[in-house]
Amino acid sequence: MNVELADLTRRFGRTTAVDQVSLEISAGVFGLLGPNGAGKTSLLRMMATVLPPSSGRIQLLGRDPGDYGPRREIRRRLGYLPQSLGYYPGFTVAEFVEYFALLKDMPPGQVPRAVAMAIERVGLGDRARAKLRTLSGGMLRRAGIAQAIVNEPELLLLDEPTAGLDPEQRMAFRALLREFGERATVIVSTHLVEDVGAACTDVALMDRGQLSFHGTPAELTARGEGSGAAGDAPLERGYTAALAAARAGAAGARA
Amino acid sequence: MTAAGLDSSPRKVSAAGGSAPAAMRLTRLYAASRRIPVALGLLAAVGALLAVALDQHWAIAGGPAAQRVIPLSAEACAAAVIAVSCHGPFGEAERATGRWLPWLQLAAAVALTAAAFGVLAAAGPAGLLPGGAWAVLRNVAGMSGLGLLCASGLGGPFGWVGPAAYLVISEAGLAAGWSTPWLWAGRPPHDLGGAVCAGVACAAGLAAITLTGARGPSRSAGPG
Amino acid sequence: MTAAVTAPARPGLPHAAAAPLTFARLVRIELRRNAVPWVVPVMAALLWFDSYRPSTAVPAFWMLRTFWNMGQGHTIIDTGPLVAGVAAWMGSRDARRGMADLAAAAARPRWTAQLATWAATAAWAVGAYLALTGALFAVYAAQGLRGTPPWWWLATGAVAVAAFSAAGFAVGALFPSRFAAPLAAFGAFLAMGTSSQAGFSATSGWALLLPTNANGNYQVPTGIDYHYLPDLPIARLMFLGGIAVAAVGLLGLRERAGGQRLRAAAAAVTLAGVAATATAVGLATTARQAADGIVIPALHDAASDRPLSYTPSCQRAGDVPVCLNPVFGSLLAGVTAGLRPALAAVAGLPGAPARVTEVAGTYTANEGSSGQAMTISGRPPVLRLPLDAETLPGSFGQTPAEFAGQLQVLFLEAFTGTSSGSGSPAQHAVLAALLQQAGQPFGAQPALLAMAGPGAPGPGPGGAAGPVYAAARRLAALPAATRHAWLAGHLAALRSGAITLGQLP
Repeated sequence: MNVELADLTRRFGRTTAVDQVSLEISAGVFGLLGPNGAGKTSLLRMMATVLPPSSGRIQLLGRDPGDYGPRREIRRRLGYLPQSLGYYPGFTVAEFVEYFALLKDMPPGQVPRAVAMAIERVGLGDRARAKLRTLSGGMLRRAGIAQAIVNEPELLLLDEPTAGLDPEQRMAFRALLREFGERATVIVSTHLVEDVGAACTDVALMDRGQLSFHGTPAELTARGEGSGAAGDAPLERGYTAALAAARAGAAGARA
Repeated sequence: MTAAGLDSSPRKVSAAGGSAPAAMRLTRLYAASRRIPVALGLLAAVGALLAVALDQHWAIAGGPAAQRVIPLSAEACAAAVIAVSCHGPFGEAERATGRWLPWLQLAAAVALTAAAFGVLAAAGPAGLLPGGAWAVLRNVAGMSGLGLLCASGLGGPFGWVGPAAYLVISEAGLAAGWSTPWLWAGRPPHDLGGAVCAGVACAAGLAAITLTGARGPSRSAGPG
Repeated sequence: MTAAVTAPARPGLPHAAAAPLTFARLVRIELRRNAVPWVVPVMAALLWFDSYRPSTAVPAFWMLRTFWNMGQGHTIIDTGPLVAGVAAWMGSRDARRGMADLAAAAARPRWTAQLATWAATAAWAVGAYLALTGALFAVYAAQGLRGTPPWWWLATGAVAVAAFSAAGFAVGALFPSRFAAPLAAFGAFLAMGTSSQAGFSATSGWALLLPTNANGNYQVPTGIDYHYLPDLPIARLMFLGGIAVAAVGLLGLRERAGGQRLRAAAAAVTLAGVAATATAVGLATTARQAADGIVIPALHDAASDRPLSYTPSCQRAGDVPVCLNPVFGSLLAGVTAGLRPALAAVAGLPGAPARVTEVAGTYTANEGSSGQAMTISGRPPVLRLPLDAETLPGSFGQTPAEFAGQLQVLFLEAFTGTSSGSGSPAQHAVLAALLQQAGQPFGAQPALLAMAGPGAPGPGPGGAAGPVYAAARRLAALPAATRHAWLAGHLAALRSGAITLGQLP
């Protein structure tokens, strides 16, 4: 297993963002669905080693990120696209990606080729020398994806990666995810269920900090069949039904 | 994804080939992202201003304490520039990378402190700079440490608050004749106590910026 | 989300009424999300350390306690640069957060939004300044300080902080960068530094307007014998307010600030600010020093010159009443006790005071006014004591015994005609003999004279072993009646300098 979470909890003051989440994820594309404020980003940040958990256990790529040495090793093998990506507008796309490649401790000889490949894979080959300040929002997002994949990560964490991408780019991106999923663990946090349906082999649904569903996209779709749940597509109806069931269960437990 | 327009020669994208060039390249990119060239320009400007002030014998009346205002202000301003240079724009994406970031942060802070010492020490001809080069080294190092601590605690953009507050406290302490070594600017240049305190502040600041980095505003720690 | 959401009704307020309300709401939002509160604890610590602590070393009079922190502007030094830095940070916010386009595309002009941000920043800064200095004043009031508080200077301090906030905000908005805040803060320090430099050496002209310049306009009799003259504070308010207005107006001149008419209005605001600043400078060039402070003819109200009336507090030193302003009531016993032996030494001699009364000191510049001479005049003779100008017990480590010695020296200098550092060797010999009679041993006198005098006295008595002291010892050794008779017969000639050392008995 590349990701093992046991009773993982994260609190911010009196708010519990992630509440005793246990999960095991192996290679493939894993979709993390949920409404806004469900705790997806907090969970992803803990897996990205930038947010320590309040309690629980976390193992990434067979290592404990709580210790310095293993954390360093994890980070060398990690690709992370945060929800809000900061950037220096004076960098070119190539410099931006190269900077992260070098920070990720890639063998120097491989960096130029890896940078060029990553930029090409996100479709920014013709803008490699463009300053980031000149790019559109979607292009910036793609530059962010390029920095995340430049080191061929074994664990790729993407928080709302398709926000701002046009339909063509989104389809290409899903193909990229599938390609990565063949040899690495890819975790995509999103609230766009069609991304999950098209690219993910596994899916989990988070609500109010807890996992309320874990299965395949087909299983999630099945939840919606005959339920009368709202939605324009089968997977969307499954999402709505699973969410409603989770909330009804929580309300029942409280009563 | 389209491959149209992609430069097929990686060398045109990056010149990095071996370990040393890669390190140089990473250092250059890190420096650019922290506006270190601008910071060096500002340090040079502060040094030039100090040189003019000393050459023209700008001095504030009111005794020896007040006459240190301009050199001490220049040193504090240099420390503030160093502190705000620590702040990076990349946020968590950068923090989730390998081992180099802490060392880059440390190296940048040390290099800028050394540069600040160099330009400020060069600004004052012998005899004009109160305390001479040793005092400049001690004061800049100590105040840079305070700035780095502030950058680590309050956030990189507010790193200047530490040197600014220390400047006011130093002036007040000097006017009151305080002799505590923590007020190192008031001690003789070769005084061990002042040097130790400034060194402790510098070491604490460098350790903080190396281990935790400058807090940035890119992401608030909240649920989501 | 539901599909059946009805669009909110458009506000029905007329535009003219809605604009101020909208601005007020913008300011309210900005007040909640402002960075100034983060540095208020630092400001409080600096004010305590730099403004309050040093002031406790001087006696409990408002004008003495607040000379350093209000007169010499240390409350502004402690707050202004921090405010400038944080204001620069707030001013650069739109650019840092990528909100420039968003703000520019809004229906409200961008200048309006920036004004709201600045107004909230300035409100926090000025509010913090007033709250912190108010706390300082409350502590002073609880300590029973005598005299009246310098309210005018509090007002100039508040406007200075507003000016720093405006200038810093403009720096941040016009040059948004990570370096804007430190450069604004240290630029403010530099401005204060050069202000101090110019202020210490200038007693007229534009330098009077600088917030750290206390020369001639914040002097000891104010708040005790005279009101605080409002002339210079008014000019300073114009100067600092003009800087604030011009800085804020500058932001509206940019192309993206708003429409043509709004930019024209911004230009008018900028010009108004510049005009106010220039007018203040012009007014300062007409300033002159008066007994009660700096007078600017165009702003002066003659009613301000009336001394504060009071019923003196009196005690008797032998037969001589000693009367002081009740503000100095706590010093009355010490003054009476200090003067008593010296008055006894000259009792019955021509020109011996029949009364001691406290008068306001006179100043040409604020530094070095301590040890100001006493004068004896009138019939019967009255000793006029500028107590406010003397080094009072508690100031600069002055002990009650040193204070008594200082009073004796200054009185006997006035009596023998050796005031203001002049005097012949014979006069100094008589002075020394009278001091010895008042209880000051010859050996201790050179140090006492050096401490009490306004500067090194002209020829002076020299060392305790010199010819002046040899003559003084001869005179002091005479029987009291003989010495009294000689002094009674020769004092007039002695005071005129007609007696030589050799003519002393």
